[in-house]
Amino acid sequence: MSRRKGKTSVLTALIIFVGLVSCTNQPQQSFRIGAIPDQNPEKLNRQYKLLCAELSRELKVPVRYKPVTNYPAAVSAFRTGSLDLVWFGGLTGVQARLQKPGAKVIAQRDIDANFRSVFIANTTSGLKQINNINGLQVLNNRRFTFGSESSTSGRLMPQYFLHQAGVKLSDFNGNQPGFSGSHDATIALVQSGSFEAGALNERVWISAIKNGRADPKKVKVIWRSPPYADYHWLAQPNLDQRFGSGFTDRLQSALLGWSDQSSTQGKILELFGARRFIPASIKQYSKIEKVGRDLGKIQ
Amino acid sequence: MNRISLTPPILSLLPALALVPVLAVVVTSVHVGGLQLLFEFFGAAIQPSLDPTVVKSAWRGLQITVATALISWIISTLLGILLGIASASVVWQTCIGKSWPAFLIRRILTIPRAIHELLWGLLLLQLLGLSPWVAILAIIIPYTTLVARVFSDQLDTQDRRALNALLQAGAMPFPALITALGPPIVPILMSYGGYRLECSLRGATLLGVFGLGGIGTDLQLSLQSLAFKEMWTALWMLAAVMLTLEQSINWLRRRQRANETTTNQILITFALMILLMSLGLPWLKGLEIDLSSSISWNPIPWPTLAELIGALNHLQWLKLISSTILLTLLASGIAIGTPPLAMMLWPSRLGIEVQSLIWALLRLIPPPLSLLLLLLSCQPSIAVAAIALGAYNLGVMGRLLKEGLEEQGNSCWKALQASGAGARSSWLYGCLSAQSPSYLAYAAYRTDVILRETVVVGLVGGTGLGWQLIESLGSFNWAQVILLLIVFATITLIGESLSDYTRHRWLRSTQKPALVLDLQS
Amino acid sequence: MTQILELRGVKVYGYRGDRLSNIDLTITPGERIALLGSNGAGKSTLIAVANGSLTPDSGIVLWGGRPITHLRQHQRQAIGTLWQDLRLLEELNVAQNVNAGALSSRNLMWAIANLLYPLEIKACKECLKAAGLSTKIIFANIRELSGGQRQRVALARLLRQRPELILADEPLFSLDPILTEEILNLLLARTTRGPVVIHKTLLMSMHQPDLIHHFDRVIGLRSGCVVFDNSSDELDAKALAWIYQSE
Repeated sequence: MSRRKGKTSVLTALIIFVGLVSCTNQPQQSFRIGAIPDQNPEKLNRQYKLLCAELSRELKVPVRYKPVTNYPAAVSAFRTGSLDLVWFGGLTGVQARLQKPGAKVIAQRDIDANFRSVFIANTTSGLKQINNINGLQVLNNRRFTFGSESSTSGRLMPQYFLHQAGVKLSDFNGNQPGFSGSHDATIALVQSGSFEAGALNERVWISAIKNGRADPKKVKVIWRSPPYADYHWLAQPNLDQRFGSGFTDRLQSALLGWSDQSSTQGKILELFGARRFIPASIKQYSKIEKVGRDLGKIQ
Repeated sequence: MNRISLTPPILSLLPALALVPVLAVVVTSVHVGGLQLLFEFFGAAIQPSLDPTVVKSAWRGLQITVATALISWIISTLLGILLGIASASVVWQTCIGKSWPAFLIRRILTIPRAIHELLWGLLLLQLLGLSPWVAILAIIIPYTTLVARVFSDQLDTQDRRALNALLQAGAMPFPALITALGPPIVPILMSYGGYRLECSLRGATLLGVFGLGGIGTDLQLSLQSLAFKEMWTALWMLAAVMLTLEQSINWLRRRQRANETTTNQILITFALMILLMSLGLPWLKGLEIDLSSSISWNPIPWPTLAELIGALNHLQWLKLISSTILLTLLASGIAIGTPPLAMMLWPSRLGIEVQSLIWALLRLIPPPLSLLLLLLSCQPSIAVAAIALGAYNLGVMGRLLKEGLEEQGNSCWKALQASGAGARSSWLYGCLSAQSPSYLAYAAYRTDVILRETVVVGLVGGTGLGWQLIESLGSFNWAQVILLLIVFATITLIGESLSDYTRHRWLRSTQKPALVLDLQS
Repeated sequence: MTQILELRGVKVYGYRGDRLSNIDLTITPGERIALLGSNGAGKSTLIAVANGSLTPDSGIVLWGGRPITHLRQHQRQAIGTLWQDLRLLEELNVAQNVNAGALSSRNLMWAIANLLYPLEIKACKECLKAAGLSTKIIFANIRELSGGQRQRVALARLLRQRPELILADEPLFSLDPILTEEILNLLLARTTRGPVVIHKTLLMSMHQPDLIHHFDRVIGLRSGCVVFDNSSDELDAKALAWIYQSE
């Protein structure tokens, strides 16, 4: 018995030792990219693997991608400096910038300057095409769903347009809207008939129609919103101190310089659903900020 | 003479009445619009995606989840035991002759327990940023206090005659405690510890679903994009790990119980824990998750009084609280009442095996996923949310009931069978009756858990305090967050004292000291 | 005479040797049989095999000429057992326990309703009275009862079942002389109280040779074998020693 105990303790000691030794060396500082993923893991992994490799090649620093699936988590990660560059939605980008003064808007996609939401309805719901914003009142007392609760195109802007048309959240059937969690889920739930109508990102809608996920016989667009600015790259204010002066500019020109001439860059842009990245300014997002404040999403 | 008698077996079955309103609502709102997607979902089960990128990503996620679960399990169990000793009256009474410090510590420990690990995760994320410690701490904080509570409960309910005899004979307090209480408590601790590992694994998965990394993140991403084949890749992997874990814990427990002395059991278990711990840390590091990196503290701005009052007036408390409580009651009813009802209706060996398979499946599917699946064929309502939340916990309760019945003798059941009673009636009288007091005790624990878990389905269902809390977090409205947390904790604590009360009532009526195997989330 | 119960070549294996080896036994209606044997001789096993709750490893048990395993579930009502450990349902009250004897002829809804609101109280009371219990305890919890009361609740449950054959496993164990007399008389159907019917066929295991004269027939069991099977008049001191002889 005692021999056995002895063996156990020697083994234990050995393992602790090995464990401790393997814990001690420090990694090299790397440039950390984050995004609120809104696509499937397979595509996402390809997209950010390529992006990291390309940025790493151009900027000569190790680049790592950290997925964060939760909107406020991404904002907090940016505020706490856990992420250096984040692909934010309109609202989350503003939230993050307000919580991290000095953060820089680096770029947006060509499509982001004039981004739109679409309101969709199940074809059996009897909801008709709407011609002006006040027509949204037909959604009164209907089962209606947004996407994720912090999404700009799936919640904030649609809620703003509803608000302008005089529709309150408590006017929907069941006294509250649903929150499907994602744009794809919104399509699926409206198409199934569980909800009569919903609002989502127009880009997702277009690709869902293209790949057959959305069935035009069952679900249709009833209103296309006016344009607003949405997704953008937001960078920490202290990148130059940490990675060398001029780093932020180099980062920006790297992103802006991508084109489909290069096969890797073309691939990345394709995965982002864009032809290129274009400069973006804080001013473009002042409307989002105002809407966010009006609707209580920004304090 | 009081003729109506709420006997324990009836009390175990009665919660199933929650199925009546829930099913009534669901059946009237059911439709076939989402059938195609549902078929797609179940069809994908037999052909999960085998794309190397998907498998690799899921495999990496799985490792992170398992390593996180392991580390947090070990730390929470060890800390929990220490805190459990510190909050046991018998220890204080023996050492200093007074028991109020135990009472005090116990009260303090209720607060971290009242908040679901998911909320801890989201809160810690605000304070610590994207540190790998967030997920680990989020599990450790509530679990440590839970283990402490169960352990101190167990210590205090042990027979004290042996201890008193030793003290009378002049033994020093601490050695006397170890000698008298050690041997009976160790086996309980062993089996309870095993359950905690499974709980940690489920907790770690759920945290991932809300963006804190690991396989849950993969699940959430494929859920968002309705990529069912990829979702099943992750689900099957998770199932394999859960099953392996369950089986190996059972195997280890049986072996230990049969072969080892108490001292050896403790030694081997500790050695195993340290081994797993020292494997877990480098493992995570190998996955580029470095726990030795420094933690930065990023305090949030403390809200002013005016903001707090504003938040107090802004939120519709009555509606939030009542819908949360309604959701909890319905979900608890489903989770508690369904397993005995189903087993009573189909008590054959085949029936029980089929049911336990279904329960295993229900435990596997996180509530946000089942909620989305349900919403594909039902209109949204609180009933649907209750089913999603209830189903997950039903899986846990079903397993507890089955295990309890297996440990319990079947002599009464045989006697009733021999007297000609039908299979269902004899199961009800001969099996469920004797099991029901401890089942009800577990049910009381489970209700606490379900109340905390309303957060999880609130997000999709748009109902209750849980949803509001996520919404306020998403708006970075700290005044609302703080008020909501206080309300949440208060309700949880009230619920907990109520269930404590009922549990004590039911356990008092069992003869054997109850082995508390709470499968907390 | 037709036999109601028959055991043919019944064998039950145990960890150390057979618990029953090659038992052949027939019981005819109206017989009152005492089953004697030292502790561990196989009396309880024999009773468990006879009521069908234990399937023998070889051999067959026939009820009314048909294999007992072929009986429909509700037909097993005809065989009533008074278990040595009583097997009362501790979580339920007296009435509910007594009613458990009637489950063979009732459906599941009745069984559930009885758990919430004890049914057929009148019948329960008759059975309690017949078993010599006060009807005051009808809603008492089983846990609150004394040993003798528990014994008689089990008996009341048996009476509620109305079996044709009673198999009683040491029902007199640890009873005082007056209670022994009472319960014995009841099982032998010497006393009838009210409408409660007791059939006359009885197999009872026991340790009291002085009570043997109440029985028609004695079966002696030793190490799983029948070593004595004869009229009770034939049981003398020598036969008794033979049965209780240690190996």
